[in-house]
Amino acid sequence: MQPLSDAAPVLASRTLAVDRIVIRSHEEYLRPGFPDGLAVVAVGGFGRQELFPHSDVDVLVLFEKEAAVAASKEAMAAFLRALWDQRLRVSQSVRTVAECCELHEGNIELNISLLDHRFLAGDRSLYEKLADRLPRFLHGQRENLIRRLGRLTRARHSRYQDTIYHLEPNIKETPGGLRDLHLAWWLAKLRQVQPEALEDARRFLYSVRCFLHTQSGRDNNLLSFDAQEEIAGPGGAADWMREYLRHARQIHRSAMRSLETGEGTGGSMLAQFRDWRARVSNADFTVARERVYLKSPHGFEPDPELALRLFRFVARHGFRLAADTERRLADHLPVLREWFARGGVLWPALREILELPHVVLALREMHDAGVLGALFPEWERIDCLVVRDFYHRYTVDEHSLVAIQTLAELRTTEDPARRRFADLLAEIEHPAALCFALLLHDTGKGSGVGPHIEESIKQADAAMERIGMPAADRKAIRMLIDRHLDLSAVMTLRDVDDRATARALAGRIETVEQLTSLTLVTYADISAVNPTAMTPWRLEQLWLAYLAAHRELTRELDTVRIQASAAPPEMADFLEGFPVRYLRTHSEAEIAAHFELDRACRIMGVAADVSRRNGVYQLTVATRDRQFLFASLAGALSSFGMNILKAEAFSNRQGRILDTFAFADPSRTLELNPPEVDRLRLTIERVALGKADVKELLRRRPAPAPPSREARIRPSIGFDDEASAGATLVEIVAQDRPGLLYDLASAFSEAGCNIEVVLIDTEAHKAIDVFYVTRDGRKLDPRAQAVLRERLLMVC
Amino acid sequence: MKKVEAIIQPFKLEEVKEALIGIGIDGMTVSEVRGHGRQKGHKEVYRGQEYQVDLLPKVKLEMVIPAARLDEVVRTLVASARTGKIGDGKIFVFDVADAIRIRNDERGAAAI
Repeated sequence: MQPLSDAAPVLASRTLAVDRIVIRSHEEYLRPGFPDGLAVVAVGGFGRQELFPHSDVDVLVLFEKEAAVAASKEAMAAFLRALWDQRLRVSQSVRTVAECCELHEGNIELNISLLDHRFLAGDRSLYEKLADRLPRFLHGQRENLIRRLGRLTRARHSRYQDTIYHLEPNIKETPGGLRDLHLAWWLAKLRQVQPEALEDARRFLYSVRCFLHTQSGRDNNLLSFDAQEEIAGPGGAADWMREYLRHARQIHRSAMRSLETGEGTGGSMLAQFRDWRARVSNADFTVARERVYLKSPHGFEPDPELALRLFRFVARHGFRLAADTERRLADHLPVLREWFARGGVLWPALREILELPHVVLALREMHDAGVLGALFPEWERIDCLVVRDFYHRYTVDEHSLVAIQTLAELRTTEDPARRRFADLLAEIEHPAALCFALLLHDTGKGSGVGPHIEESIKQADAAMERIGMPAADRKAIRMLIDRHLDLSAVMTLRDVDDRATARALAGRIETVEQLTSLTLVTYADISAVNPTAMTPWRLEQLWLAYLAAHRELTRELDTVRIQASAAPPEMADFLEGFPVRYLRTHSEAEIAAHFELDRACRIMGVAADVSRRNGVYQLTVATRDRQFLFASLAGALSSFGMNILKAEAFSNRQGRILDTFAFADPSRTLELNPPEVDRLRLTIERVALGKADVKELLRRRPAPAPPSREARIRPSIGFDDEASAGATLVEIVAQDRPGLLYDLASAFSEAGCNIEVVLIDTEAHKAIDVFYVTRDGRKLDPRAQAVLRERLLMVC
Repeated sequence: MKKVEAIIQPFKLEEVKEALIGIGIDGMTVSEVRGHGRQKGHKEVYRGQEYQVDLLPKVKLEMVIPAARLDEVVRTLVASARTGKIGDGKIFVFDVADAIRIRNDERGAAAI
């Protein structure tokens, strides 16, 4: 069975059925007491004859006289009860005609619902009075109502972060949903104009809503992952969501356009001020009410280059296109497409756009008007393309634009952790290359098969050749696209303190200039995956990866190095047996603090410290070594709901160990409840001494369900002997759950492996854990790897 | 059918109620209660003398829902009642044997 079918017959038949119930109930309970002076009117969606299977039924009971309202109390209760007993969810209002024709400050939705009214039963002449008076009232209050509708809409949009891009959208409320469709419709009605034709989008959303209602048996408008899969069939959800988003985008644009048209028409001081700004107008364009108009309406035909000048104007001054300008562009798209396809030296003009302050607005306007697609057919392939991994929130085109926006916002950032990247950006001579690379870096995803990078380079090559880009720029951009995942692959999943990591990175990136550009592209690319993807931890790791590669490229020597022999005897004792990397990766102050912990450990058997740096927590534990110790400590942290990001284990010749864990506190438990820090520390100490059972602690944490039935992650395990000089690297991809790290670490322990460093990254419900392990101080031989693989797979 | 009982911070009531209505749960009973869990009351100074406030004001929400919606309801309750601080409250889940609407003697899921 095709799950989505035309909603119209369903809506019509439910409306008809409900009509009958309401009319019958009126007949039975209201007519006997009030044969005249009372009418039952369908309003809102019911008035439009668009009742979805479980939507509310908006009923207006209209009275002629105020006094009758009080007298009707009992009859009204019986009438409503009858409707409730028929399983209708009634939203009733009881009013006189005069009350319907006044503005309800606190309940503007009521005024709006009266835009759609339909007589059902009772005194028809009374209803006609309403039908007669209402248009005059609405006309008089038009501007007022439009303004309030605008306010309501903006409040609703901001509840959904002002974006149509949601992994599981509410198809009624999110921007681009049914409410926006109705908004456009109400605005047209208030202004007495024809609404924009959005028939396809309407039909699509209506059938989706119908499906959701029928399937869940209630007024459910949330398009969950499961629902998406059910509608689209196996494997088809990404394509189907692409279709959904195209419709949503069209509705959202139309709604916002019609909202903004009305708001600009007041003759206020502000409007006058805006018109005064028109002095930026030039020979080609004028600006009125913050919108750009063409001076010569037919300019694109003889002079297609006007289009590029138009967007340069937008990028320079930050004004959006007037509806009229958009229409003219749309009319001339074939002309522009042909002119662009002919190629030529377009790059200087494009480069200028990409380096002006309002580049993001200009690109968005180009995208919306279809000019970006006309200029780069490569871009059209990723238009609204959905990446369905429950982690990427935006479509590929939006992701590319958000990435460029992230870069632009870097210039004004106040955040100290981001200032470092802003300083890098200031070093870049021609940021246009960065923007261009970001614009096309994922175009290869449009082909849908295999690794996208190669395909993206091919696409970009064709585009760059067509627009006449000089060879040097082309080379730089090709490098950026080719390596745009290098840094992100290393930063959270390789030990950046390992010289081998830095050397490999530097070997690929070649020059400091390329490293700077690539760091910025990586920063923008990760930030644009979803609003929370760039965590403080990832930000720090990216910076460390940059520093490591930079040091390697400039052959800068490590400055933080202490001489064990020069240390006092007690300290030397503590350091004896630690790997060299311990000295390389810790500052003198850190080592001194560790030494203090170790001293306390000698007395108490264990000592732990929890501190916070750059938004990430650090746990350091000194204790006597024993089997499963590392796994137990990791388990204890998980049992507090903490996410471990990186862990390192060091042991000295005395048989004492020092374990450090970097972890995030996603629920902000430690920050909001200072006593919890002590409880965590005490628990860790008890676990280290074997006085608390980690399995018991972990049992209290529930395993989260995967986002949808199809989303279960199949575990994979990979071994790498090349990435590090002294250890084998084991990369495990598995479905995330509390205690996963505990189980994995236990499996390593059981196989007699020694864990040196662990790095953990999570993308939605996918955990990527990388272990640097040794066995008897050496890398693992193939046989040990095979045994380990079996053990690890058993716990994934 | 399940009964969900949630003890929450009084100032979170509106937010929680809105969130529940947002997912289509509109039948609930709300009462003002006093009690304490790990939060264990706090000290207050009254006319210069310190005294212990043992029982803290809380709001209790009770609702009976179809078992299939339990996860969603609990998720919504946690998300909307949460401030992250000690004292955010608790949620208890019970099995319900039957429900009866007194007015017309309807039984089971139809009565909730």
